[in-house]
Amino acid sequence: VGAGRRVGAIARKELIHISRDWRILVGVAVLPLVQLLLFAYAISFDVRNVPTIVYDSDNTAQSRSYVDAATNAGFFHVTRYVSSGSEIDGVFDRGEARVAIVISRGFGTAISSGGTARAAVLVDGSEPNSAELGRTYALALNNAFGRSALVSWSATRGASRSIGALEPRLRTWYNPERSSADFLVPGLMVVIIMIVTVQQTAVTLVRERAQGTLEQLLVSPLTRSELILGKVLPWVVLGFLDTIGITAIAIAIFNVPLRGDISVLAVSMFLFVLCSLSIGLVISAIAPTLESANLVALLVSFLPGFMLSGMAFPLASIPVVLQGVSYLFPGRYMVEIARGVFLRGAGWSILGGQVLALCAYAAIGLGLATLLNRQRV
Amino acid sequence: VNPMNLRRYRLLVWKEFLQLRRDPLLLSIVFVMPVLQLIMFGYVVGADVTHLPTAVVDHDHTVTSRTLVHAFESSTYFDVTERPTAESALQPLFDSTRVRVAVVIDRGTEAALLRGETAEVGIVVDGADSKTASVAGGYAGQVIASFNARRISAAARGGGPVLDSRVRVMFNPSLRAVNAMVPGLVATILMISVMAVMSQAVVRERARGTLEQMMVTPISRAEYLAGKVTPYALIAVVQMTFIALIGRLWFGVPFNGDLVTVPLGLTLFMFTSIGLGLLISLISRTQQQAQQMTMFYMIPVMVLSGFMFPIESMPAAIVPLTYFIPLRYALVVLRASFLKGSGVLDLWVQLVAMLAFALLIFGVAVTRFQKRLSE
Repeated sequence: VGAGRRVGAIARKELIHISRDWRILVGVAVLPLVQLLLFAYAISFDVRNVPTIVYDSDNTAQSRSYVDAATNAGFFHVTRYVSSGSEIDGVFDRGEARVAIVISRGFGTAISSGGTARAAVLVDGSEPNSAELGRTYALALNNAFGRSALVSWSATRGASRSIGALEPRLRTWYNPERSSADFLVPGLMVVIIMIVTVQQTAVTLVRERAQGTLEQLLVSPLTRSELILGKVLPWVVLGFLDTIGITAIAIAIFNVPLRGDISVLAVSMFLFVLCSLSIGLVISAIAPTLESANLVALLVSFLPGFMLSGMAFPLASIPVVLQGVSYLFPGRYMVEIARGVFLRGAGWSILGGQVLALCAYAAIGLGLATLLNRQRV
Repeated sequence: VNPMNLRRYRLLVWKEFLQLRRDPLLLSIVFVMPVLQLIMFGYVVGADVTHLPTAVVDHDHTVTSRTLVHAFESSTYFDVTERPTAESALQPLFDSTRVRVAVVIDRGTEAALLRGETAEVGIVVDGADSKTASVAGGYAGQVIASFNARRISAAARGGGPVLDSRVRVMFNPSLRAVNAMVPGLVATILMISVMAVMSQAVVRERARGTLEQMMVTPISRAEYLAGKVTPYALIAVVQMTFIALIGRLWFGVPFNGDLVTVPLGLTLFMFTSIGLGLLISLISRTQQQAQQMTMFYMIPVMVLSGFMFPIESMPAAIVPLTYFIPLRYALVVLRASFLKGSGVLDLWVQLVAMLAFALLIFGVAVTRFQKRLSE
């Protein structure tokens, strides 16, 4: 009973600290939502309207129809026609266009007389994502144009020739409209929660130490684990409220589906908040000053949160060593769970292992924080 | 009184370095952070998505379908790991993330091709994983395109027009993501580490009350600011050189730029970052606020600058926002000069924009500093 009261007292003290500084409240309540809105609106994965220049030295009906075919798909957006090949270099150097379509003289004659028509599509590779897509579109364009040229040439000679072709029919499972919010929000909420909670708890013990209040706390009947528990409690509540807010916005504003078992999400989000808090407390226990606590928190929450959680970059394609490192951060398990529940409609049977991992992580993390804090004082 | 006394300025710089040395953790982070970031970004963001676990459902069982399956198998992008006989078997494979891509070849595909029709090939991608979803469709499209190209050129052997149109990727022919990542990383790491440390610089002195002490000495405001900025600028220069060298030597990123454009661009960008850090430090009342503001600034910047996601793919309503981000210009300058060898004349618009930002930010910081002291 005494322990519960002491933990409650520390938790209330923390809450008073938090409510004193309205900027912290802004950081906890407003920032995550602003970030969510920004990311979900700003990021999309479908590249369109890539600025394209055309150097058509043939200028015949056939060459124009080649350019038309290129622009029809909506990927290449012709911004300019140039009249000499040397202009292309300058345009690329200044970054004014990413693609150049070059048509050699004699293109039209070759198409109508059955010769070899020469053209080229130059793609600026300095932005690999759009370049890769540009290559795909250009190859498909060449196929379609070459095929129809061949078919219509045969037709003019009275011979009907038919060439079959394959066409990819792309289906995106779990997110058929390819909405970027569906792609991002489940991973994003994990990263946002991690950043908010690690940052806030990383400084709590350091600050007490710097202000000399930690000694005062330690001469009170309070035990060390009670102190840690009391410190964590308000943040567990706040972190969990953040989660609920983000989930509500995701569903209400961005129409992200929640297909799976919500109890898995709730339990694992609670565990995940505990994991992040324990990381913050470990930092707080070992950092000598506020600045270094802040920097380590930044480093630990931001980088692995973004890079090693699988939120934006698939973990299967990164080097094995880094894959190993990714298991040391809770984000990886939580992103898997969030995606599973939101998009794949998964439940306990598929995600049970990940939830257990989070559970173990939280226990070890909090234990470690208590231990390190004990050594420190 | 001379507002800029070199001896006082030197002493102030020395004082900052002494202070940095006191906190060994902070100092090691300042140097370890860039390296860690480089490794993470270089290997994680720069990782080319290949060997995607793929399931193939072949309902056609013909020479054509086997040729197509073989084309997928021999591509480095796909690893055909599963061959279920029915489409219904795909759901559990995707649910358990054992495959990320599936190719479905319908019955009658070969027959349709022989009749000269267009036959569809089903490509299923895992939409829960954004990057896979966005690249796998493209890779599959390329495999199918080269399959078609072979058929068309075989057909043209009987006479008729041939389209000889090469698709050439310039500046980064292998399309290695690292090549585009590292130049951008030099600027991004610069921004992160400069702002993280700089944003604490003044607010710390105020918290400890040493700022007032400083101001009753003969030290002028200009000296104080210059003394604060110089050590971090020097550290930043060391960091940048280090990152650029690792990128060049370890990641093998080509460097076609010249030694005027790159340093000029980086210096201008460095001043915008230092200025912003300083501004945050002046506005904040506590170190924690400074820290939060830095984070609040950096996260949107990473997303909107084009560092991680191409600006072209952003919605039109968002694009104007990106012009207010100095990192956007720095990225253009660095990528263009590293990869394409663009010079100062090609990139003057970006360079002038960064200069304007630097002047503006420093101007605001200095007036803010005056006000802050008279409060």
